[in-house]
Amino acid sequence: MTGVAGPAPSLTRAPASTMPAAVRAEWIKLRTVSGPGWLLLACAVVTITVSAAVVSVEKCSSASCAVDATKVSLVGVQVGQAAVAVLAVIVIGGEYATGMIRVTLAAVPRRPVMLAAKAAAVAVVTAAAGIIAVAGSLLAGRIFLPGNGFTAAHGYAALSVTHGPTLRAAAGSVLYLMLVALLSLGVAAAVRDTAAAIAIVLGVMYVVRGVSGLVLDPAWQHRVGRVAPMNAGLAIQSTTNLGKLPIAPWAGLGVLAAWAAAALLAGLLLLRLRDA
Amino acid sequence: MIGEVTPVRGSPMAGHDGFAQLLRAEWAKFRTVRGWVVTLVLAGLLTVGVTLALGNAGNSGGLPAVVTGPGGVAVNDSFYFVHRSLAGNGSITAAVTSLASPRQREGTMAWAKAGIIVKDGTRPGSAYAAVMATPGHGVAMQYDFTHDIAGLPGAVSASSPRWLRLVRSGDTVTGYDSADGRHWTVIASARLPGLPSTAAAGLFVASPQAYQSGNGYVPTQARATFDDLGLRGGWSPGGWGQCEVGAGQDGGCAPPPRGIPLQAASESGGTFTVNGTGDISPYVPIVDILGGIMKAGSLAGLVALIALSGVFVSSEYRRGMIRTTFAASPRRGRVVLAKAIVVGVLAFAVGLAGSAMALTITGPRLRSNGWTPPIYPLVSLGTGTGLRIVAGTAVVLALAAVFTLAVAVMLRRSVGAITVGIALFVGPWLVAAAAGQPAGAFLLSATPFAGTAVQQGVQHYPQSSAVCLASHGCYPLAPWDGVAVLAAWTAAALAASVYVVRRRDA
Repeated sequence: MTGVAGPAPSLTRAPASTMPAAVRAEWIKLRTVSGPGWLLLACAVVTITVSAAVVSVEKCSSASCAVDATKVSLVGVQVGQAAVAVLAVIVIGGEYATGMIRVTLAAVPRRPVMLAAKAAAVAVVTAAAGIIAVAGSLLAGRIFLPGNGFTAAHGYAALSVTHGPTLRAAAGSVLYLMLVALLSLGVAAAVRDTAAAIAIVLGVMYVVRGVSGLVLDPAWQHRVGRVAPMNAGLAIQSTTNLGKLPIAPWAGLGVLAAWAAAALLAGLLLLRLRDA
Repeated sequence: MIGEVTPVRGSPMAGHDGFAQLLRAEWAKFRTVRGWVVTLVLAGLLTVGVTLALGNAGNSGGLPAVVTGPGGVAVNDSFYFVHRSLAGNGSITAAVTSLASPRQREGTMAWAKAGIIVKDGTRPGSAYAAVMATPGHGVAMQYDFTHDIAGLPGAVSASSPRWLRLVRSGDTVTGYDSADGRHWTVIASARLPGLPSTAAAGLFVASPQAYQSGNGYVPTQARATFDDLGLRGGWSPGGWGQCEVGAGQDGGCAPPPRGIPLQAASESGGTFTVNGTGDISPYVPIVDILGGIMKAGSLAGLVALIALSGVFVSSEYRRGMIRTTFAASPRRGRVVLAKAIVVGVLAFAVGLAGSAMALTITGPRLRSNGWTPPIYPLVSLGTGTGLRIVAGTAVVLALAAVFTLAVAVMLRRSVGAITVGIALFVGPWLVAAAAGQPAGAFLLSATPFAGTAVQQGVQHYPQSSAVCLASHGCYPLAPWDGVAVLAAWTAAALAASVYVVRRRDA
């Protein structure tokens, strides 16, 4: 019968406007260009390579060598995080560079949904790469450290995730990488420029981290250790002498999460306030 | 007349082919983008700002009391001294037949010292000249703390002793060594201005402090045996005195403590056995406060310069401008070089101005905060160290900016280039601080970050046993050697970028 129309496709609710559809769209964009794949691979390879290189030369010659074996094995995360930061930055900054952002926003006009979808996609792929990176780093520590004096005689057991603090450091390092990615996504959404975003994210995190090693005033060192995103976040990797940390491991990760949330919120506000 | 072409005034083609023209074009591109000029200024402000923020570092722990040597340098001067006085010219000869730690468990320090010495009295810090055997550095002649000249290689043992001789003539002391006691070689001559006509001279043993992670510095001991002692000239009659330099209540030379056989000397049948602890060397602090602050400031500025270098290249690719650039100047390698010169010169200028200002402000502030001479001499633009730090910082920033530019040419993307730049220039700083000594030392000597060795504010000496921890920012490389490592990285990256840009399509 002509004249009887089916339900008109809703104009207010475009198909991709729902969260699952928006996430699927972001996943397709991530999957179908080569950049993200290479960056995730780079994150895993760089993290494991740096960790393995460091543990292969790290030495413990006596029972008093006071080295946190788990933390040393995870040192590559500090370099590997650069790759996930780049990934998160190009996920939104790259769209501004090519003008793709206008298509994205036409398909998903609701800014919070669009940003949340990007955050979800980035977080999931970062977690995948992070698990491989952290597992590989710990494996390198398990293989190399016993040969370098990290033996039972010096008070070290082989690294194992059945050891509570090591499991916490490993899982926390994956979460750390995810939070770094989300922080980068928020900054990139706010500044809209890939070069500026990556320079701000890596510059601020790395330089503050490096500078904090030079702050000799214990009160200030304590303050920086509690507040700076990288310093506080990396507290999650410590497994010994927790009482001496400026901030407890999970609380430190919470500080990084607060930074990431603040960056995403700022990005979202600016997205809503201005034209694409 | 038909067919005759009037030459165009100021032929554009000829002009565009000149390298000066190319440089001017790249400079025009740079200075007409406001954001880039702002970033350049920001780099300078960051350098000064971070230095300012760190410059009020207090020194709550205070500094250890040290003695000063000739010329006012901070020195270690404590050792066991078996001495007589020598009036006027003369000489002393002795064979060192063994040198080791008396404690089986603890290793012997590479710079433990056993030998003969001519010194301006027994006061710590006074002028001296000495020839010594060491377990790790062969025979050495050292004088006035900062001078060290190598003699015969190898350690001493009963089967291969080392004969040592010092000859005083006026204010000149000449050191000799010999492997057989007959054939002598001059090691060096030391002029000790103001050495009084009557000097203290004799045998000495010292063993510097060892650094243990977790415990800090711990004292060590050494025991040596001397044979074949020969004296010529105006030596005081009577027996030998013995005392520990630097151990007295007033810091002077204290007599041997009773009941502690490890710190005493004995003689039997012409063979002397001497136990000693301490060191005769320049005092080198662990914390390089000025170097660390200057490095932090320049790295903050460097992040902005790295971003600038990356974008200076990538923006051409993103907007397709690069095709216009290459059409105007088809010799692409020269385009890359012109861009490198523009970025390098600007980074150099920002580095020079920023670090000169930072040093001028930070030097006096550190001094008023308790980082005082003699351990921390005031470093200003008027001192060699200050000039080296400021000029070196400018060179490092220029090389780092050119390195990032070359990477950006290869990648054609700013993000990748900026990430590589930051990871290679700031990453090693963090990993070296977190990792142990061997990995840290490798990072500080092999990565582009090695260039920041030029910012060392503490002078290191090969004859010092002071620990050099990568985690404390102490470099295994000498200042300009580090810059050479960075320069090699930059040259390689630039060559690779020229090769790549000539081979591929724009």
